Amino acid sequence: MDPDQSEDSPSNSANSHGPTQPQSPFPDEVLEKVLSFIDSRKDRSSVSLVRKDWYNAERWTRSKLFIGNCYSVSPEIVARRFPRIKSVTLKGKPRFSDFNMLPRDWGANVHSWLVMFAKVYPFLEELRLKRMTVTDESLELLAKSFPRFKALTLSSCDGFSDNGLKAIASHCRNLTELDIQDSVTDDVGGGWLSCFPENFASLEVLNFSSLNCEVSFDDLERLVGRCKSLRVLKVNDSITLDQLRRLLVHAPQLMELGTGSFMQELTPRQYEDIESAFSNCRNLQVLSGLWEATSLYLPVLYGACASLTFLNLSDVALQSSEFAKLLVHCPNLRRLWVIDTVEDKGLEALGSSCPLLEELRVFPSDPYDRHHRDGVTELGFLAVSRGCRKLRYVLYFCRRMTNAAVVTIVQNCPDFTHFRLCIMTPGQPDYLTNEPMDEAFAAVVKTCTKLKRLSVSGLLTDLTFEYIGKYAKNLETLSVAFAGSSDWGMQCVLEGCPKLRKLEIRDCPFGNAALLSGREKYEMMRSLWMSSCNVTMKGCRLLAREMPRLNVEVIKDEGNDDGQADRVYVYRSVAGPRRDAPPFVLTL
Amino acid sequence: MELQLELALSSSSGRGSDPNQDCNRRRKRCFDTAFLGVMESVDSPQTLPLLIWDEKQRSNGELHEQKRIHDLAASDRNVEDDVLVGWPPVKSWRKQFGHHSRRVCATNYVNVEHGGGDGGGRGLNSMYVKVKMEGVGIGRKVDLSSHRSYQTLIAKLIAMFGKCEDNVETYKLTYQDKDGDWVLAGDVPWETFVHSAQRLKLQKNGY
Repeated sequence: MDPDQSEDSPSNSANSHGPTQPQSPFPDEVLEKVLSFIDSRKDRSSVSLVRKDWYNAERWTRSKLFIGNCYSVSPEIVARRFPRIKSVTLKGKPRFSDFNMLPRDWGANVHSWLVMFAKVYPFLEELRLKRMTVTDESLELLAKSFPRFKALTLSSCDGFSDNGLKAIASHCRNLTELDIQDSVTDDVGGGWLSCFPENFASLEVLNFSSLNCEVSFDDLERLVGRCKSLRVLKVNDSITLDQLRRLLVHAPQLMELGTGSFMQELTPRQYEDIESAFSNCRNLQVLSGLWEATSLYLPVLYGACASLTFLNLSDVALQSSEFAKLLVHCPNLRRLWVIDTVEDKGLEALGSSCPLLEELRVFPSDPYDRHHRDGVTELGFLAVSRGCRKLRYVLYFCRRMTNAAVVTIVQNCPDFTHFRLCIMTPGQPDYLTNEPMDEAFAAVVKTCTKLKRLSVSGLLTDLTFEYIGKYAKNLETLSVAFAGSSDWGMQCVLEGCPKLRKLEIRDCPFGNAALLSGREKYEMMRSLWMSSCNVTMKGCRLLAREMPRLNVEVIKDEGNDDGQADRVYVYRSVAGPRRDAPPFVLTL
Repeated sequence: MELQLELALSSSSGRGSDPNQDCNRRRKRCFDTAFLGVMESVDSPQTLPLLIWDEKQRSNGELHEQKRIHDLAASDRNVEDDVLVGWPPVKSWRKQFGHHSRRVCATNYVNVEHGGGDGGGRGLNSMYVKVKMEGVGIGRKVDLSSHRSYQTLIAKLIAMFGKCEDNVETYKLTYQDKDGDWVLAGDVPWETFVHSAQRLKLQKNGY
């Protein structure tokens, strides 16, 4: 807000004392009408800072709320500022909670938000939650409080069971989207699917692929048959191939399909039938699932692959030959997620078959190295970079890498916006030269000027971070593990990267000096995570004292000495310290 | 060997300018893993038992300092792993893929499952198998790794199917082993059962 204007001066008053805002050239209604066309969050933020009447017009016309950290603001503050919200996106736990680095019951419970929304946003239509705890009680409240509710996404959430989903299915008459991605619950039970009323037919998106439950296939088939607008259907692995065929017959219009289990003994007749069911899906752009698919049954898919842009094979461990054969049918592929059992050979095939590829994620089949498999190496990555020049997003898990390979890769593909390289052995050097991997990441940040997200790995000295600070001018998210030599490294990043928003660090020798050097920076960032570094309670307390608008939270490991700050989470907040922090979270 | 050891050490010797910090203790996992990582490429069998630094178990207040890792009979490895919490950064619910089968519920490390916080809900290695109860149309899934004995497993299954009033003794549990045969549960040690059971069936005794 314009600091020169007093909070209370109405925009077109004719006060003669103190500075007044000049008369607005537009009546409020015109301003509001114009602003209602602005969707972008960043634009709206800029708009609200122009002057008070713009701030007001913006808040009255905003219908989509995005809260990247649920603790950065409170439901009360949000409700006061924005009276007319129809869509909410809320994100909770820090990303490292995906990897078991946060205890259960850490927080990010959505309930208090829902209670407020039920009061002030009765016309809420969409709720997208990520890494939040969502109880059955919350789902029941959601189901009963918003008569126009349409779309629910639960991404990496936990805390709910069959009962909560039953409430959604039974009461949300206008539901168009139910999307449960990666949400882990003990045992959901499948009864919820049978709770959609017999005349309910509005579903456009249904994703329950990550749920551990068996649903009634008959009810699912009837539901799919009724919902003529269904464009996204992702079932879980309790659905067999033959059952899938029946679903496809009802819904050939699908644009996104997550299959069930692909392991089944099929008669030749059944094989033909399912092949033809797939061939009838002419609009398929996204394909996933394929649990336990083998070279025997993969070919039934071929007919549906011509228009595929996103193929998610991260749930099925394919070998290079069957993978290569499948790729031949996917010339339009833009995004691919795959498991490293396809090996370098498979990636070579990718380089030849899919020139339009923009995103590649290679997941490890054996992350804890129990089976000593090769997986993929620098050669596979090189092969892809040679064939797929439009690559801009990569997530690559490997056991060996060289500086030279990365230098060549980014020369081939300078447009990377997301470069996430995970050399799985911590602190591993270039396997050919035994040097640190500094030069690799130097090349990445120097060459890829559009880089927004970077994950580094391997043996790295402070030099890597000097390069990052110096060259990565568009970097927003940085993930660091087992790297660096001293505080200087982290300081370089904090002083250098003007657009940095999220910094996550684990097991690095960065201490209090580094932590404190970023104090002003953290107010311009969403959050900082530091675990198993050299930061102490004293350093954290100092940070908390100097920066009252930051929440500095520490989780200590039992058995470690009292001075250590084992896990530190720092984030800006206008809501003050958490009121719901469990006892093991110390707010300083 | 010496050279590789030195590499591991020197990579961390330049760290931290504060002499008061006891890097060693907290770098313990780093050293172990760096050491292991470097040894990885060598074919010789490992005989060093490695210890997990097991983080607190908040939910039931126990303190596990260090635990030995169980050496699984089913495994053909020689190495006892040191497993870092949250590393590599793969989402905890992602299944792992065994050597022979396309998808196996990951081999279970009893300690690791409880170590390092359970933010993800399923822990590092969960072992879901399908279970059907006689007379009930819809099957369920149960995580074998969260149980320690046949008794607790059967009790959980009974509760899952909503038959809480029944006694554990009124049911018999059968399972399909890796060869595809259906076997009565209870004859083999719990760990062996957990690693060979592919699916379960619960039947009322007397049938």
